[in-house]
Amino acid sequence: MNWFDKLLDWFSGFTDQWEKHGVKFTLYTTIAILIGGLFELVPPFFLSKTAEPIQNVKPYNALELAGRDVYQKEGCNNCHTQMIRPFKWEVDRFDPQHSYGKDGYSKAGEYVYDHPFLWGSKRTGPDLAHESQIQPSAEWHKTHLINPRDTAKGSIMPAYPWLFEESSIVDASKIADHMRGLQKIGVPYTEEDISSASTLLAGKTAGDALIAYLLKLGRDTAELSKSLQ
Amino acid sequence: MSSSEQKYNDTIVKGFLISGLVWGVASMLVGVWVAFQMVYPELNFGPYFTFGRLRPLHTNAAIFGFALSIIFATGYHTVQRLCRVRIWSDKLAYLHLSLYNLTIIAAAITLPLGLNQSKEYAELEWPLDLMIVIWFVIFLINYFATIFTREEKQLYAAIWFYIASWVTIPILFIVNNLSIPVSWIKSYSVYSGVYDANIQWWYGHNAVAFVLTTPFLGLMYYYLPKHIKQPIYSHRLSIIHFWSLIFLYIWAGPHHLLYSPLPDWLQTTGMVFSIMLWMPSWGGMLNGFLTLTQAKEKIKTDATLKMLLVGLTFYGMSTFEGPLLSIRAVSGLGHNTDWIIGHVHGGTLGWVGMMSFAVIYYLVPRLWNTNLFSEKLANTHFWVATLGILLYIVSMWVSGITEGSMWRAIDETGALKFPNWVQITETLKPYRLFRGIGGGLYLIGLLIMIYNVVRTILNSGSGFKEIDLRIGSKEEKIV
Repeated sequence: MNWFDKLLDWFSGFTDQWEKHGVKFTLYTTIAILIGGLFELVPPFFLSKTAEPIQNVKPYNALELAGRDVYQKEGCNNCHTQMIRPFKWEVDRFDPQHSYGKDGYSKAGEYVYDHPFLWGSKRTGPDLAHESQIQPSAEWHKTHLINPRDTAKGSIMPAYPWLFEESSIVDASKIADHMRGLQKIGVPYTEEDISSASTLLAGKTAGDALIAYLLKLGRDTAELSKSLQ
Repeated sequence: MSSSEQKYNDTIVKGFLISGLVWGVASMLVGVWVAFQMVYPELNFGPYFTFGRLRPLHTNAAIFGFALSIIFATGYHTVQRLCRVRIWSDKLAYLHLSLYNLTIIAAAITLPLGLNQSKEYAELEWPLDLMIVIWFVIFLINYFATIFTREEKQLYAAIWFYIASWVTIPILFIVNNLSIPVSWIKSYSVYSGVYDANIQWWYGHNAVAFVLTTPFLGLMYYYLPKHIKQPIYSHRLSIIHFWSLIFLYIWAGPHHLLYSPLPDWLQTTGMVFSIMLWMPSWGGMLNGFLTLTQAKEKIKTDATLKMLLVGLTFYGMSTFEGPLLSIRAVSGLGHNTDWIIGHVHGGTLGWVGMMSFAVIYYLVPRLWNTNLFSEKLANTHFWVATLGILLYIVSMWVSGITEGSMWRAIDETGALKFPNWVQITETLKPYRLFRGIGGGLYLIGLLIMIYNVVRTILNSGSGFKEIDLRIGSKEEKIV
């Protein structure tokens, strides 16, 4: 281990000097942490694979976006993931209709309009990335959200009855503002998309919007796959 | 007032210690509550107190309320002593303390209201993010000005770890929180999809690194040798493990995204660096252990030392488990399951919590110039907390591995063995119940400590006298 000792001598010769100079020490520390960060954060920005939408994938319309806001507000991402891994058992479970053929796992191009991403990190409830293909009934979702035990006995999901109350009617002008914000960071909304907010959201509750969002999840890619099959 | 109080500003240390205790109770109370919500959904009180809204409150209060308070308390305490000067500006320090607590109060209000950015450990909405940047800058100016006016030339190992944390936290925080505000209470991340995931977990994993690891290593490097009155075992080992730790840690983020659409080379990089990280982590643990063995005869009697020992043990355990979980095949089973929750709590309850408690037991008598009210209660706290952690992580290991196995179980025909999700949830119920009980025990331990600390503070000014608790010197023991 002689060479290793020598290496350590050589290295601690430098660091002993740095330890007497606060600025130098701080600077070298910063460089040490920046190298890895830059290496991992910069290149993906230039990879088209992670940035281009799959043909057919469209941004959320006003109602779906309002639903996504509700999803975020209620913290659904704390218990539901939105990322299906390429394992047979995950594809079978989260693409039971085989809408995607053998390829029912998640792909980068499905998420390009997601600000922020909502993959989650804990799967206490099932994955929802392709929820539109698992449970296409809006009525089922409404019953489930009002009291999860009515559709799934033994479920530990909180009940969300207030989402469907009169007081939860969504403010369309707010959603139009949200769409303008997203437009600024690259979501290709047209003026028509934004002006449609008032008609799409007329009289809709947060719960209706959330269901519209759930029924959008995985729909565009599933339709593409079906048209190719 | 003793001479040390005139030379150093200890009021700021006291302020942050008390903040730590308050936010510690808040976060753990919410933690126990959400643990039981996972078994009894009736404990969700809508709309403000459902799991989805309380879970971010729990993590934010624990990381940024409890852990950061302890870090700032020890940061202010150590920097003055290691530089042999008073903190550069008392006013800036108090401003930091007040703005910091205001932010956490605002977080405790806005998160139950459902105002969040949905990024894990970065949930706070943009006005609060701006507030955090303001008081962090105030703190940085004060801290570095103290270092530049120091009377001690050499920067001791403890200070390296604090410096590394102070420079890295703002970089991570600002980059990950860049968002476009659409109203006072709503913003969207400027990044999308896979980019956003990559940046989020670069931040998320390094919050573990530079909020929950490096400052606590700094704390260990100062308080462990101080407490046992022996030097740190190896200065050279400190150098090696410091530089390799901070260089390697920042690469590990993508192990949170294995099997995701993140580019493969990035996933592999994250995995390889995570495995390499095992060595510097254990370097730090070994340096702590070897230092501790110099006072091993005290371990039986000294609660503070026991906490340091258990803290280091859990550090070693979670930094072994982390690289293990970052291996693709293991991640395939463990990812998204309760196993990860167990892993995280091994680190937070075991390492962060125990090291914090040890420091509180060390600091409170000295800062308030009196002896600890009860060594016996400190010892009780130690045992209750340790039992709590063990119950918690063992039940989560069993639950997580059961969960992962049931998800992937396939029968002879190739069909899913447990297609009904609720069946899996029902199976996990008893383990999750034990998790709640374990967390409850840990909270009880904390409450015992707070009682002990309050009684100690009420007795302040009676004079601090160091007591050797070794067997054979029983006559000196106070109860």
